[in-house]
Amino acid sequence: MTDTRSLINMSISEAAAALRRGETTSVALTEAILARIKETEPTLQAYATLPLDRALAAAERADRELEAGRDRGPLHGIPIGVKDNCYTKGILTEVGSKALQGFVPDYDATVVRKLYAAGAILIGKTRCHEWSCGGSEPPTRTPWDLERFPGGSSIGSGVALTARSAYGTIGTDTGGSIRIPASINNLVGMKATYGRVSAYGVLPLAWSLDHVGPLTRTVRDNAFMLGAIAGHDPDDANSARVKVPDFTAGIEHGVRDTRIGIDRDYFMYPGVVDSVRAVTEAVIADLARLGADIIEVSLPELALTRETLITIRMVESASYHRHRIREKGHLYSPGTRATLQMGEVVLATQYVAALRARERFRAAMKNLFRREKLDALIAPTIPVPAPLLEDVWQPRDDMANGETPTAGFVHHVYPANLSGQPAISAPGGFTPEGLPVGYQLLGKPFDEATLYRIAYAYEQTSDWRRRQPPQVYE
Amino acid sequence: MRSTYQPPDSAIYADQLARLAELLRLEISEDDLKALSDQLRMIDALEEAELRDMPPILKMDADWHD
Repeated sequence: MTDTRSLINMSISEAAAALRRGETTSVALTEAILARIKETEPTLQAYATLPLDRALAAAERADRELEAGRDRGPLHGIPIGVKDNCYTKGILTEVGSKALQGFVPDYDATVVRKLYAAGAILIGKTRCHEWSCGGSEPPTRTPWDLERFPGGSSIGSGVALTARSAYGTIGTDTGGSIRIPASINNLVGMKATYGRVSAYGVLPLAWSLDHVGPLTRTVRDNAFMLGAIAGHDPDDANSARVKVPDFTAGIEHGVRDTRIGIDRDYFMYPGVVDSVRAVTEAVIADLARLGADIIEVSLPELALTRETLITIRMVESASYHRHRIREKGHLYSPGTRATLQMGEVVLATQYVAALRARERFRAAMKNLFRREKLDALIAPTIPVPAPLLEDVWQPRDDMANGETPTAGFVHHVYPANLSGQPAISAPGGFTPEGLPVGYQLLGKPFDEATLYRIAYAYEQTSDWRRRQPPQVYE
Repeated sequence: MRSTYQPPDSAIYADQLARLAELLRLEISEDDLKALSDQLRMIDALEEAELRDMPPILKMDADWHD
């Protein structure tokens, strides 16, 4: 049997292989994670709810199934955390909100149902910002630096994973909420194509922008998880009727002749700080060295991404929340309430104009990919490393345009939410101070496999994924 | 035929938004109203100039290279 420290540091792929070799059990993996949670949670507070008895019972079942020859695939017996905006039957689901305090759903979100079907062990519900947007700050902290912004809104999904208190997690991404915590916590986060993963049973922020997806420590693990949760769902009207491939099938084929675009005017704008710029240029250079064609491109339509997305988000959020805010407005923090209700004053004609602007943007992005025969666009995931918590909303001197970090996040992550195309964030390196820096790849709709192939090729050139945060738990 | 429409000044949007907020009994700060009015003005300007053939539909297709 392997010791606890080795167990928690395994990737999903390694743990799955060890299970099948009989070197460990799902119960041992689950107990190792529970021990780690006990060690890390007082400091990090990544989890909102920990259904521990259920987790151990599920692990015992998973072991019995494997012993009996029933193998559900790479997630079988693996402890996974799920963001607390996903319905979990019989388990608290509070989405960081006092308005939902004590709420226990009577059914599972489709993503949870699929995880169970794949044999995954639900280890806990990870904390998120209030209603997945949040004008209040959860107590969650990142071990990379307890004083810095840990990412959001899938805040616990990022922190649990980097702290080794889960092997994989589920997040949601309406405006970067998978990719931002992935970048800040040295993780791989995939916002797949809109409709690729069912959002049924996931508390919405904005229906036409919401995406559900996996966070992991390696690219291959992420491909395994997406394979388990993707697929058409008749319960979700926006679910795509598109075949789900084996996302790992061509993952080792390399990047020779792969065409990767970079729009430097937009994605390397003056808001990108030097350390992030250096990391991103190094990733681009390594991909070129591996045989990728790097193409300089320009997409002026990126300029109105923020205005378009925020208008859509505001109106859809207000539509969802307006009755509850009138009944329970006092149970929303003031900042969250303001954010969620402001869309009520946007006229229907203005909302439709924003929807049309989105279609213009999507068409322009599609034309760019066609014209340049692109497989992906590359960019920093976010233009700054994790800012100090008190600086998240403050203008920064080292962002040459004097922006706030939040505005910088929005600038870089919104485009893929608006277009609906897939986007992955993966570890690209570190700042001189030791903070993780992610890069992102934006791809063609339903071509997540190419993003995995590119990210995997780069991952093999570095050991970024093996770097661990400081042990801040004592 | 190309429209010559120009959206009104941002302050007019802000006034409209403030009135709506009051009617709906919503407390929205002046800063938020200003940011929203700027945002909506930019989209209105785009609507007449470039959105004539753009229906408000998000359709994900897998044919970007076909």
